[in-house]
Amino acid sequence: MATRNEIEAWLGKAALGDRAAFDALYLATSAKLFGICLRVLDNRAEAEEVLQDIYVRIWNHAGRYQVNGLSPMTWLITIARNAAIDRLRRRRAARAGESDGTDMAEAQADPAPGPEARVIAASEGARLDDCFDELDSGHAEAVRGAYLDGESYVELAERFDVPLNTMRTWLRRSLLKLRECLSR
Amino acid sequence: MSDEMPERDADKALAGEYALGLLSPEEAAAFESRLAHEPELRVLYAQWAEDLAALTDPIAPVAPPVHLHGAVMTRLFGGDDAATAREGGLQWFRWLLGGLTASVLALVLIFATGLPERGPQPPDAPAYVAQLAAEDESLLISAAYDAEAGRFHLERARGEAASGRALELWLIAGDDAPVSLGVLPEARRASVTVPEPLRARLDGAALAVSDEPEGGSPTGAPTGAVLAVGAITNT
Repeated sequence: MATRNEIEAWLGKAALGDRAAFDALYLATSAKLFGICLRVLDNRAEAEEVLQDIYVRIWNHAGRYQVNGLSPMTWLITIARNAAIDRLRRRRAARAGESDGTDMAEAQADPAPGPEARVIAASEGARLDDCFDELDSGHAEAVRGAYLDGESYVELAERFDVPLNTMRTWLRRSLLKLRECLSR
Repeated sequence: MSDEMPERDADKALAGEYALGLLSPEEAAAFESRLAHEPELRVLYAQWAEDLAALTDPIAPVAPPVHLHGAVMTRLFGGDDAATAREGGLQWFRWLLGGLTASVLALVLIFATGLPERGPQPPDAPAYVAQLAAEDESLLISAAYDAEAGRFHLERARGEAASGRALELWLIAGDDAPVSLGVLPEARRASVTVPEPLRARLDGAALAVSDEPEGGSPTGAPTGAVLAVGAITNT
């Protein structure tokens, strides 16, 4: 795995048009980003298309990385996650359009995150998991569902069988609690 | 929001909802227009982006098929160089106009506020960084420290010296009095050398900008208002 400094250096050079640096960046990071695309989309062909879009975007926007305040890997992961969720939502919207509209929530529902999503991995993940443990039962799954499965408030309310407004109030409180814990 | 939270708390939750992509398109657009000129909100968003990215830690890397590598390079650089560079931009632009969600737009928006200009280039791998922001957001400077050269690279995204006045940069290490690093030039990008003895003391120190007479403080200590402060943090 490349170090943060290496990734930052490649991004800096790519911003100046250095294709070799971009190439190195692709080789070092594409497996991670492809893993994310596969996890979110659960469809290889779509994940492959989205991964290409992601790297086109990274090349075109490398120059803006410097001022964004995110660590380089987070910047890359956020681009990948957003692009994959974007694609997932378009797919769901298309499917919902095909149905008669009454079972939209059902058509959009995604399976709950698999056990692999609950595995504790790196140190930051462990910190997040510790803070998730402090939330009321189910709330951590709602946050995960939104981040990794692109679930909307409507879908979350459906999944947890509560009114939409309740879902939102509930999640906002959990987010605050999470923020407090993560800032400790 | 209907639930009563203090404003700062409401923003923390809002930034989290935004990072999760839970806001409606209208709410997301409103959040983005605030992001463009509220540095504190950008910090809240960046914290969420960092923390939530940890959700991908357990996701195992999967090597993409080899042909994708070639496909990306061809899409970006294939054929005539200049033409494809333009095409890359166009494709991206079409993509942007296509089905872009608010959450993705945020990145564009944040970064668009600091488009690169000619001037000293920032270090590839800064050892320290700092964000200096005025309370009313009228001044915004980012600093990145090049440890090898012993210099801060500065990029002023917003604000300038008042007419007939100067912006002076100070380093505050521990409980010591501020040490002047010099007057900021008019150019948005600049670099300043940190005096040798102070280089080992940057961790936990702060940078500040004060309003001074032209040419800088006559006393060697800040004489005017402190306009912006930012903690120096380890990358």
